[in-house]
Amino acid sequence: MYCYHCGCLLSEYDYCPNCRADVKLYKQIIALSNRLYNDGLEKAKVRDLTGAVASLRQALKLNKDQIEARNLLGLVYFELGETAAALSEWVVSQSRREEKNPATEYINLLQNNASRVDTINQSIRKYNLAYQYCLQDSVDLAEIQLKKLLSMNPKLLRAHQLLALIFIQEEKYERAERELRKCLDVDHNNTLALRYLRELDLLTDPEDTEKKPLLRKPKDDVVRYQAGNELIIQPTNVVEPKSGNGFGTIINILIGLILGAAATYFLVLPAQISKVTEANQAQVTELGEVLDTKTSEIQDLENQIRNLKTQNDGLEQIVDGYNGQGGVISNINLLLAAANAYLEGATADETAAALAEISGAVELESMSEEFRTLYQTLLNDVGPQLSTNYYEDGYTAYRNEEFESAIELLSKAFYYDPQNVDALFNLGNAYRRMEDYDNAASTYRQVIELFPGDERATRSQQYLDEILSEN
Amino acid sequence: MINFEEELKKFNPSLEIGEVQDAVYHLDLTDATDMLMQMLKEQGEAIVGENPDQNY
Repeated sequence: MYCYHCGCLLSEYDYCPNCRADVKLYKQIIALSNRLYNDGLEKAKVRDLTGAVASLRQALKLNKDQIEARNLLGLVYFELGETAAALSEWVVSQSRREEKNPATEYINLLQNNASRVDTINQSIRKYNLAYQYCLQDSVDLAEIQLKKLLSMNPKLLRAHQLLALIFIQEEKYERAERELRKCLDVDHNNTLALRYLRELDLLTDPEDTEKKPLLRKPKDDVVRYQAGNELIIQPTNVVEPKSGNGFGTIINILIGLILGAAATYFLVLPAQISKVTEANQAQVTELGEVLDTKTSEIQDLENQIRNLKTQNDGLEQIVDGYNGQGGVISNINLLLAAANAYLEGATADETAAALAEISGAVELESMSEEFRTLYQTLLNDVGPQLSTNYYEDGYTAYRNEEFESAIELLSKAFYYDPQNVDALFNLGNAYRRMEDYDNAASTYRQVIELFPGDERATRSQQYLDEILSEN
Repeated sequence: MINFEEELKKFNPSLEIGEVQDAVYHLDLTDATDMLMQMLKEQGEAIVGENPDQNY
């Protein structure tokens, strides 16, 4: 605590150690202000907001620089929905102490939330409007405004109180009590709400024999009734103009019927037609969307069917490749039949013919190793005999100067027995005699290469030299 | 007994947020310490007027 006169820090004595000013009374005022702040704080903690406001305002009346009390008062006002009052206290607090003041944070929080500020402002305007309606005796309009604003800002306590007062005025005691209970939920000791509740108790207590209409009836004689969400107010004291005679009434009825029919034709009917057309259009659009979806699904299914057919054709071709004429299984059967026939004593020629048929029908390299092994075994067994037969026939043809036949037979003889040097040598001779020198030279080279040192190789070299020298 | 008109007089329009600045400007912040100082000042002047040698 500092001296009000010179600003020096005060001691426990009742005078200022610096300027000797009497500070006894000043200290008592500050102490009382602090006590009232503590009282306000205690009340705020138990939600006695009305009591807290009273204590804090007294504390500030004693010491306007009691910053904590002012900030707390702002918070209590804010809780009561009195945002403007809260903001006022915080602004004053900020002006009294600029540094380390929570009021700055409160103001910033509020100002940074523009939508919240806007909602609060709107609710305050609606409250003021409702209050004006009440003053103008338009409580029904005030009620509507208050309900709207409480849906936006349910914390505005004074709106609950005013609405409760209107309900009491309209003898809607249960609804009034509900509003007052909402007030007490926020402010447990709200004086006005408690007083109204006590009055309500008196009004609704069935044992109270002195119960009487405490609230005056509405001044105007009107009939109020609820139609959906709207409150219809109909004056009862309106005097209907009297018609002069019965004929005028009939004319009026006829005019009314004609006008009604015209209104139906020009206003109601087009609206109905438009409504039905819109509904139909919406249905057509919906069906079109369903149709598009189905068409797309059908297209997808057709594509799937096409793909599956293609796959099926491919698989059928593969199966035919295995099972059909010239297929793998067919060739295997042929080879097995040839082997079986050979084992049962078939001749070399018959076996060779079967092997020739197989080799003509299939690419041996594409067959399995077991197939090739069996084929080669059979060929090795019947090959030399077959080669001898072909050689004898080929050599006979050669001697008869039937060189084409000789070449064919001697080629087979060498094919079936690669060691048959005579067959290869005479094949070269047959080519030479037919003056096919290219094939003759290549055949002689083969003899020289495969059978070096053999007498036929020596002679092949001589013939080769002759061919090369002559050509 | 509640009288609507009488009760209505106890309510008053609420201050809008835009009006806070003006309200704060016109706020009377005089407190008890101000009044005390004023009293002491007046008292001091009176005392000084009676005895010019004494001063706070």
